[in-house]
Amino acid sequence: MPAPFTPLLRVLALGLVLAAAPALGADGESAQLAEMQKKLDKSLAMIEALAKRVHELEARQTGASVAQAAPAPAATEAPRLEAVEQRVQQIETANAARRGDDTSLPIHGFADVGAGTANPFTNELKGAYVGNLDLYLTPKLGEHTLSLFELNFEVGTDGAVGVDLERAQVGYQFSDAATVWLGRFHTPFGYINTALHHGNWLSTAVRRPKFVQFEDQGGVLPAHTVGAWLTGSTHAGDGKLTYDLYAGNGQEIIGGVLDMRNAGTVHGNPMVGGRLGYKFAGALDGLTVGVHGFVDKVSDDQQPADLTRVRMLGAYAVYDTDTWEHIAEFYAFDNESLAGGTGTHRSEAGFVQLAYRLPRGAVYGRYERASLQQSDPYFAQMTSVDSGASYYRTAVGLRFDVDLKTALKLELANTHTTDRLVNDYNEAMVQYAIRF
Amino acid sequence: MPGSLLTSLRRLACAALAAVVLATTGAAAAALPGVAGLADLPQRWRDDDGRELVLAALAGERVILTMAYATCHRVCPLTIDALARMQRRLDERGEHAQIVVVGYDPANDDPAAWRQYRRSRHLDRPNWHFLTGDEASTNALAHALGFDYWRYDEHVMHELRALVFDPRGRPEAALGPETPDWASAL
Repeated sequence: MPAPFTPLLRVLALGLVLAAAPALGADGESAQLAEMQKKLDKSLAMIEALAKRVHELEARQTGASVAQAAPAPAATEAPRLEAVEQRVQQIETANAARRGDDTSLPIHGFADVGAGTANPFTNELKGAYVGNLDLYLTPKLGEHTLSLFELNFEVGTDGAVGVDLERAQVGYQFSDAATVWLGRFHTPFGYINTALHHGNWLSTAVRRPKFVQFEDQGGVLPAHTVGAWLTGSTHAGDGKLTYDLYAGNGQEIIGGVLDMRNAGTVHGNPMVGGRLGYKFAGALDGLTVGVHGFVDKVSDDQQPADLTRVRMLGAYAVYDTDTWEHIAEFYAFDNESLAGGTGTHRSEAGFVQLAYRLPRGAVYGRYERASLQQSDPYFAQMTSVDSGASYYRTAVGLRFDVDLKTALKLELANTHTTDRLVNDYNEAMVQYAIRF
Repeated sequence: MPGSLLTSLRRLACAALAAVVLATTGAAAAALPGVAGLADLPQRWRDDDGRELVLAALAGERVILTMAYATCHRVCPLTIDALARMQRRLDERGEHAQIVVVGYDPANDDPAAWRQYRRSRHLDRPNWHFLTGDEASTNALAHALGFDYWRYDEHVMHELRALVFDPRGRPEAALGPETPDWASAL
């Protein structure tokens, strides 16, 4: 059904054109004709937009307005059109929100496979390996209610496929400055653990530094927490201040692996922590610096069980631009044995990774070191894939983006283990990582 | 009087031209199946100076429209490079176009972030517009353009895509990673 306003708008546009026509009497006719053509095109596009809105309004009002009186006088058209436009704008916004609230739930994720002289997590295994299949779902529940679920299928060092409910978070967003999450989340410390957690495609490097690997792959930090997490950011100066505060179940070391206790703890002690960062703008755009820390009470499955108060304080810095990707993280531990009576133990770990971005990839180098006190029950009990041992590692690598969803990476590394078993080994590995 | 006659003829020619154009306005079918015209897209955005910009107001010249996010260092630099090549091609031809980049991540891609983005990359041409909207408009725009994207924490997983609209706002060309030279679409 033709919209009654459309011809009116067209006539108005025609009138505008005719009114402007005398100007063509001047010199430079072709230039003016071109200019007029441009104005006409612009007017037509705007008319189309207006006509579309009027169509929408008429469609909406068809049922209700059939029995109404004759059209309002012309003098009342302007305010009416304005009201109509406002209403259509509201409808547009509502429709847009509804489109974003699609009930379908697309599944996205990451996957990777690889091969090398060593498995990325233990040098005892060689050859080809299947990495991770990470499925990511973010069903949208409402304007402020958020949810996030991440399922991870990974092959352990025993060759078995394990399934992790990697993240299960339900949250409420008060504003950009404050979102609260409940459930299992990536513990906000450093940069890598939240920015480059799963999804090897995201990372420039083949693998994370050993001491910040996942708990069952050699990491000594609680990469996951089950509890509550408040996070947000706000402008401060030219840059942005970011913060995280969290509290969750205290960890337990079970079978030599730090466990985040998805179902609660036996000892009932909580873990609390936070992270504060600042993202610079201006001349230092791309630079983020921050501090992080947590206090945790960690028990283990020994008889009798150890209970250690783990206190970590550290800092991190990231310089991430179109050309460079530099990451540095530092962690200092001041742990106190509460059950074993072995006193306090200081340990530290850190890494620096420098990367230069290429048009289709990057080259990188990394140095990482962990000096972990073996008299500290917290580290001594982490025996799975030699996670609690001290070491230092130097690695260089290359990432090549085959296309926008596929990356081929190569890493050469040399590792020295320096306490439990003094060893020195080299590794070469390739990884094929995708996103979908 | 010849002057008066000439004026009348010109008016008549203009009116005829306008009538022809207007008559075809209603049949502004998408040149690209399934892709919305400029007038069908969410209209109100904020530029990197914080001013409101209505997309349809850019019609009258070609509009090259893409989406990006300010902290993207993999796909978006390629997009910006491709747009810069298009700009150079336009300059060589003496043609004008409006180049529009809409942020995928409105929470972070606010006007200040885009202003910084422009400054650091020397993208200071006035016909380049870096826009921010609300979440709903951003979703709706991506949906209407057929740009698939998803978020993973602070990252936005997205494609290398742009659309070219003709001066009347009709979609003219779709550009992607399969397009070897975006400038050739002009």
